Amino acid sequence: MHRLVRWIWILLALHLTLGMIAYGHFLVTGQYTLLGWYFGGLGTLFFVVMTAGEFCLAIICRSWFDSDEPMRLAWGMIACAALARLVGTLLRAISDGHLPWGDWHRLLQPSGGLFVSLSQLGLVVGGPVSMAFLAVGLGRVLGIQRRFHLISSLTRGDKTLLFLVVAFSISQLAINLPLLGNHPSLGTMLLWLSDPFLSLLLIEAILVRRSVIRMGQGLVAKCWGMFVLAILITSAGDASIWAANHSLLSERVTALTWYIWFFAAAAFASAPAYQLAAIALTRHDAMHLPETR
Amino acid sequence: MKLLERWKPQFRRDPVQAAHDRNRGFEAAPAAGLHDLQTRLNHWSHLWSHDGQSGMPTEAQEIVAKRLSRWMDQCFGQHVQGTLRCKDDQISLASSTPIFTAFLGRRATRELSRRVLQDI
Repeated sequence: MHRLVRWIWILLALHLTLGMIAYGHFLVTGQYTLLGWYFGGLGTLFFVVMTAGEFCLAIICRSWFDSDEPMRLAWGMIACAALARLVGTLLRAISDGHLPWGDWHRLLQPSGGLFVSLSQLGLVVGGPVSMAFLAVGLGRVLGIQRRFHLISSLTRGDKTLLFLVVAFSISQLAINLPLLGNHPSLGTMLLWLSDPFLSLLLIEAILVRRSVIRMGQGLVAKCWGMFVLAILITSAGDASIWAANHSLLSERVTALTWYIWFFAAAAFASAPAYQLAAIALTRHDAMHLPETR
Repeated sequence: MKLLERWKPQFRRDPVQAAHDRNRGFEAAPAAGLHDLQTRLNHWSHLWSHDGQSGMPTEAQEIVAKRLSRWMDQCFGQHVQGTLRCKDDQISLASSTPIFTAFLGRRATRELSRRVLQDI
């Protein structure tokens, strides 16, 4: 495993170890105090570190491509997606008062009825806006992969998954559209786009997965495989929120599902780290070549 | 422009004639130098692309192919070569450069090519 990727997953393991202590405390006492402190403080810090790291790595990857190369735009979009997630995390942290700079954040409350709160603005920026950027970036990558015939035909399982994703997306829109009569805020309407964008990302992830299978276990394949993993974990997190909102999960299981998002953040950060590892390989002197004359 | 042409008559010269005049310097090159250049270009062409019609691959071509296979495995994966080329064709710089350039970028591919051709 590449050094940077290894550090990302070691950091996740350490973070989860602390998280499990907080979860254990919750199981024993039934109190949310330690769990709240963990997710509000350490959890936010973890997201900030991961998204900032992902943004920096994606920008470095982008800089390795010239302006006329299609991958430059793809990495630019991926960097924008990471930046949007970082801004979203910070906005929510400021709104929730998890950052140690007092109550001045109350002055920043959005006005005009566009967004209910700063937290909602953070959710929109970190959710649909970030997903839109990522969808454009992955779309570009799929175009390149198709040019090299790396995307094979979909299997029956893929088609079933695609059908389920589209059906879920349409059902969510059917639930939300009648609510337009209640004059919701712009933020609320933008948040409705989360499911369609996530569905689009899942469709792209299924196609990227086909290309990864055709490639093998190389660094570039792992890079795009990490995006697939991150999107699948995000979908699992989204599904767990839906299940919790419909009281389908117990309190203990609901608290456990909150940890899913840390895996998604680590997977998102690992993707550009793998791409950078592939680029760095070409500059690495230690790569022993077979049969040198 | 007319005023300029009066003072700078060389601007009015026929461009074909001007190009011919510039090329006179090359004609003066010794035949041995040209032969050396031709040999080098042929050597590079053989390394760049290996088509099945030109007979058995040379030792240098085989080394390049082995190195490229290794790079392909490391960067993309063990199955990518089968996806990109026909079964009979040997992997070459010509066939592998487009995919390396697309996914790693032009600069990284240049560096990679330099390493592949190292000591050959």
